Parts: sequence; structure tokens; C-alpha cells
Amino acid sequence: MTPSNISRRNLIRAATLGGGAIALGQLGAAGIARAAAAAGGTLTVGIPGVPITLDPVNQINHDWMVASQMIFENLIEFDDDGVLKPQLAKAMPTVSADGLTYEFDLRENVTFSNGQPFGAEDVKYSFDWLLDPANKAARRPVFTRIKEVTVLAPLKVRFLLSEPYAPWLAFMTKCMGIFPRGSREGAAPDLFRNGAKGMGTGPAVFEEWRQNEYISLTRNPTYWNKGIPAWERLVVRQLPEDATRVAYIRTGQIDIMSSPPPRDFEQLKVTPGLEGASRPTLGGWVALYMDNTKPPYDDVNFRRAVSCAIDRAAIADKVYRGLMDPSAISAPKSAWWYDAAADRASGFDLERAKAYLAKSRYATGAQMEITIPSTPYLLDCRDAALVVQAHLKRIGIDAKLKVIEFAPMLQSLIRGGEPASMWVQMSPGEPTYLLQNVLTPGQIMSKSTSYDNPAFVALLKQSFAETDQEKLKPLYARVHALLAEDQPIAWIGFAHAANVWRKRVHDFKPNQGLTIDPRPVTLT
Amino acid sequence: MLRLILDRVLFSIVTVLAVGLCLFVLTRSIAGTPARIVLGTDATEAQIAQFDVDHGLDRPVLVQYGKWIWGIAGGLDFGTSLVSGRAIGPDLRDSLPITLELVLLAFAFAVIVAIPLGVLSACYRGSVVDHASRIVAVLGVSIPGFWLGLMLIRFPAVEFGWFPPGGFVPWSDGAMEHLRSLAMPAFALGVYYIAILSRMTRSGLIDVSGLDYMRTARAMGLSRGRILLYALKNALVPVVSVGAMSFGYMFGWALIIEYLFNLPGMSNALLTAINNRDYDTVEAVVLIFTVFFIVSNIAADIINAWLNPRLGATA
Repeated sequence: MTPSNISRRNLIRAATLGGGAIALGQLGAAGIARAAAAAGGTLTVGIPGVPITLDPVNQINHDWMVASQMIFENLIEFDDDGVLKPQLAKAMPTVSADGLTYEFDLRENVTFSNGQPFGAEDVKYSFDWLLDPANKAARRPVFTRIKEVTVLAPLKVRFLLSEPYAPWLAFMTKCMGIFPRGSREGAAPDLFRNGAKGMGTGPAVFEEWRQNEYISLTRNPTYWNKGIPAWERLVVRQLPEDATRVAYIRTGQIDIMSSPPPRDFEQLKVTPGLEGASRPTLGGWVALYMDNTKPPYDDVNFRRAVSCAIDRAAIADKVYRGLMDPSAISAPKSAWWYDAAADRASGFDLERAKAYLAKSRYATGAQMEITIPSTPYLLDCRDAALVVQAHLKRIGIDAKLKVIEFAPMLQSLIRGGEPASMWVQMSPGEPTYLLQNVLTPGQIMSKSTSYDNPAFVALLKQSFAETDQEKLKPLYARVHALLAEDQPIAWIGFAHAANVWRKRVHDFKPNQGLTIDPRPVTLT
Repeated sequence: MLRLILDRVLFSIVTVLAVGLCLFVLTRSIAGTPARIVLGTDATEAQIAQFDVDHGLDRPVLVQYGKWIWGIAGGLDFGTSLVSGRAIGPDLRDSLPITLELVLLAFAFAVIVAIPLGVLSACYRGSVVDHASRIVAVLGVSIPGFWLGLMLIRFPAVEFGWFPPGGFVPWSDGAMEHLRSLAMPAFALGVYYIAILSRMTRSGLIDVSGLDYMRTARAMGLSRGRILLYALKNALVPVVSVGAMSFGYMFGWALIIEYLFNLPGMSNALLTAINNRDYDTVEAVVLIFTVFFIVSNIAADIINAWLNPRLGATA
């Protein structure tokens, strides 16, 4: 808001917004002052991906969750620092001793943006709809252990699981959203896919979707968390080209930029009028997948040699310029489930790599083909794959790179058609999602590795039944040790969430879950 | 002339049907199904198969083609995108004017600059003007459009702030802002064709200048301007043909330009659709581009028949 357009109406609204923020502790003192001075305005975000849907049960694009998570909310959320906290639930659930029953007390005075009050019936309706195979929800597979949802009171709901499965709480943030009871029946076929106006409890309401241009949302005036958001309108622009995205942030056409190209990031951070920051994600791993049943990957010593031959620090430094944390295990260094011993065991050591290769059936060298996506997904793997190729050459492994489009590559991986591949996957920010998805039999990505070790499955199952982090740490140490021994995948590192923003944007920080979180942002 | 137009239109309908069939068959032979995009990485093979059944993707390609072309012929119904779930027709109606305007602006810019440049170059052969024109042509042909686009974004937009670095401003937001949003993309798209058309004009004019009837005209003492007019009328025949082809090609090149300048036009929609395996949108956009290509060539034939009536008589 410039001095010329300060009006009595805006001042009153600004004061109200500031007051709400104090009550809920969402903004610091400086943020409150800014909210009061600058309530309203349009926040414009530029992201590279192409949106397919805004339906929370079918949303698979992490970039575009910035829009769908503004419309729909969940019982529990992963906050920007990777901490689970209640959202539509009043508090974290009470869990039965056997880990099968979860009871949630829900927030009072929450309404959907169409005015319909929110309650336990809506939660049951949403999950029942998700779990009904007839509805073909893309996110159903991660919730199939939910056996039954029961309404105990208007604001109390119980989930009964078929077996202990603690991680399902973490999956809610990215894989689910609550919508009003009865909203799917009789609705236009694409209502939810195209924005579902009025169907969410979130801080914003769908406004417009201009194909190949942007999706816009407006502030939800009835949002339960008063004072949030401080902006009036959110525009999420689709900017797939790196150079265009950089030009947009430099000229002020966008306020926050997602996925800055690593080569430009340092310069953008010090550009006048701009700020930038990055932080490691908890679940965005970059890895070299190997089909453990196909030669030469069927030899554990060969897989170990591959893992030890990759100089992850060099890739992090030279290719990603600090926007990837090197790690040779399925945990970033910043995660509580990280294990340094396992990282050392699988990490870069040229002599050890040569020794492993000498012990393998491919002592005289081997050839391999690594499939990589032609278009970046979350992080561009093409340059990193070239470096990996060079590293493998040093121990006598001749790697060829096969570049194909991401969508057919995924299909081929699911069918087990790519013996080796290198790409990035994103989990909801907890330890088990990707391990289960990729390394246990019968899962969607199982054939990308064909890894089958009952001891590993048993360890994972044991971890599902435990919720105490202190008790989980030794369990995950055993998981990491086992994986370092078998080396079914060569982990390379974890992607950083990086953003650049204009100086008029305040109270913003990169989200460890990768998706931009515009809720706390204030504008001047 | 009427016979010529009728011939060309009938031939064009057959061409559109044949192109449509090739397009349809080839698009569906691309590896990958849109189901994976829609249902995501967690979808099972059974879910994928069910999606294909639900959307008729399991039926023979010719049956799918027949249904599609019938829908278009019956009422411009391009169907619904499997990926976005939206009717394709309304989205095309939004994006087509942007691409069409971009291409028309670029084409007009190319023609307005190229023909005078070619004429000057031919009239002052070997002079500084001719050499300057050759340099412009070499640069225009040599500089890749995407690189030129990047340079335009970097300097006139970001460094000097003369133009927006991208995006489309509708007419309703002001004529000047609208034209500013299209100026750099149109320039980047048109430069290559300035080179082509100016060289064509130059060589055509030089060829015609040496013909007997031009010598006769000069001997009769006609004015220089009048002689130039007569010469141009014949020299422009190949320029018009190449111009028409260029107009068609511009829709293809617009793909890179729209992507670079983030214009929500039809070429950008095509690129997005290709990445998303959105068959229906790909087919609809390419079919429309084909129609534009054919229409521009018919227009070239008509203009050439007007410039040189003997061409119309022998068509």
C-alpha cells in the first residue's frame, strides 16, 4: 500500500488483521506493524511446474501444492520447520497403546469458505471418499491402512487402522484435504480439479485458473485463524523457463520465486531489492536407483562400488552450488533419523570403491546405462548425472546416460524397465515414505530396485508401531546399517528448498517441505 | 480465379483430413499414457488400465480418430482434455488470439522491414546499403530465436526496463501496455524472416530487372518509380510464396518464443500439452496450425494469381 492509497477502510482492516495476529501469535511485532501498515495487496509467486489439478486427493505436483494447500487443510500439518502440529485438529491425536486407534478433537468455529460449518462428519466423509476405490483417488494407496473412520461427537473423530502405521499423520499434509460432506455427489465432474470454490477451510479461496498463465486465489474472509493471511490476493504464476523466472523476480513481476537456478542463486541473493535463502528438505532425495536383480547391479559389491565412487560433496558444490546436501543414506544430515556411521560406510572413498569392484563379478570393469529425465523435476539431474558418469569412469565403470521425458520414464520405472536411473523424489518429510515406496515389494516403485529383504520389511514395520523419536532413532540406525550393507540404491543427497523474494515480502522463509508457504507473508 | 480457389479449398480439406489422421495415429504411438500424469506416481497398473477404458484410450485408433474428427466437423467440438479435465474449445478460444496476434505482428514487422530493405539492396547493388542489408540478413539467419529472446529479456527488459520481461497484457489493460508486452516477442520471432524475405526480394528484383520487358520499359522512358512497380509485381511472386510458408512456420517458432516470454498463447499450450501427454490438446492445436498453414498458402496462390494472372490460368 502506498501512502496515496491509504484509506480509512484499509486502516480499519489493517488494524483488525494486526489484532488477529497478536491474538494467535502468528506474526512477530515487526510483522504486525507491517500487517497494519500494508494489509491487502497481491502476493505473486512464480513456480516452474505445470498445474494439473487442485484436488487435494489427486495433487501430485509439489510445486503446485502452494495453491491447493491454501484452499484445503488437514487435521495435522507439517509446518515450515518440519514439525507436525495440529491444523484442523485442536491438538495432536490421542493414540491407543496398540497404535491402532487415533482420536482427534477438532477445532470449533471453523467453517468452509462457502459458510458450511466444519465438523467430524466432514472428516469422515472426506476420508471415506478418499478410501473408496471407485473414486480412484491418486493418494488412496498411502492411506489404505485406515480401516474405519467413526464420528464420536460433532467435533470428535476416531480412526481405526488395520495395523500400526504412525507415518500416516505425516502424509496428510501433502496427500489429503478435508472437504464438506456431500460436496462430491452431484458436483460438476471437474469442480475439485479446477479449484473447488467454497470447498475448503483454508486461508484462501479459488478465484481463477488461466491456462498456461496463473492460478489466483483471494483471501478467505471467514478463515478461522484470524489475521492470516495479510495479503488480499495470491497469484501463482506458471514460469517453466529458468531465465524468465529470473527476469520476473528481478523486474518485480513476481514477489517470490521458487527453484532459482543454482548458478544464479548466489548472485540473486545479493541483487539490490532481492533476498534469498535455502534450507535442506527432509524428504527430497537425489539418488541413483539400481535394479538389484539385473546385472551388473545384482552383485552387492558392484552396488557398493558405485556408491563409494560418487563424490557427493563435489556434486553438491560444483553442480548444485550448495543447493543439495550430500548424503549417502536415506536421510539428510539435518534430519533426526540421520546416521553418520552409515553415511561414512556408503560415502565417497575411491580406494574402497575400487576394492569393492575388485571383489565383485565385474572386477575388470562393467558397462551400465543410467536413465535421467530430460526435464527437471524438483531439481535438474542432468549435470549431476554427467559428474556421476565421470566418477564411475575412475573405477572402470563405463556409464552411458539415457535421457527421456519424465512421464514415460516414470512409467518405465514402475514396470521395471530401467535397470538404473537417477532422479529426485519427494516424501512428506518423514523417514519411511520413500523407503516403503521404493524398497519394499508390492509398492508402486518397487520394480525400480526389485529389492526384497524381509529383514528390512520387518524393521520398517517395527518403526510403524513406534511414535517416540528416541526409541525410533536406534531402529532407524539399524535400517541405515542394513541398507549400507545391501546398498540397493546409491543415495547422492537431499535437495534444498530455495527461494528468492523481493524486499517488500516479509515474514517469509523457505519451507523444509519444499512447497512455498505464503500464509505468514506480509507485504509493504 | 474462382476455379483456382475452389480447387485449393477442396484439396485443402483432403490435406487437413490426412494430416489429422497422421497426427492422431502418431500422437497415440508416443510412449506413455496421460493416466500416469493424471493419477500420479502412486497409481497402480489396474488404475491406469481403468483410466484408459473410461476415456476410450483402449479403443482402436481409427475409431478414436473418427469420433474426434466428427466432433470437430459437427460443431468445433475438440473434446475434453484428459489431463486438465477442461473443454479444449474454450481454452483454444482464449489462447488462439494471442498466438495469432503475435504471429501477425511478427509477420507484419518482417514484411514491412524486409521488402523495402530488399528493394534498396537491389537498387543500390554493391553499395553500403546493400552490404548493410546483407549483414542484417546474415545476422537474422544466424542468431537463434531463443538466444535473441534471452538477450532481449536480459537487456531491454531487465537492465533497461523498457519492456516487461514476459507475460501478456490484454487490450483491456491499455493499448500501449498491450503492445509493449508483445513488442519483444514479435521482434524475436520476426527477425529471422526479415533476413529471408529481404534476400528473396533482392534476388527476385535483380532477376526481373534483367528481363527484356524491363529493358523495353526503360527504353520507352518510363519513370524509375513506375519501372520499379512493374518489376516488383513479378519479383514478389516467389516472395509471396515464401512469405506464406514463413507465416505458417511462425506458428511453430512461436512455441519457443511464447515459452520464453511466458505468453499464454496456443504454442505455449501445445508445449504444456506435449509434456503432459495431453493428446487431445496436442492434436487440436496442431490441427489448427495446419489449417493456418494451408490457408496462408491458399492466400499466397490467390495473391500470386493477382500479381501474375498467367499463374492463375495455369493452376
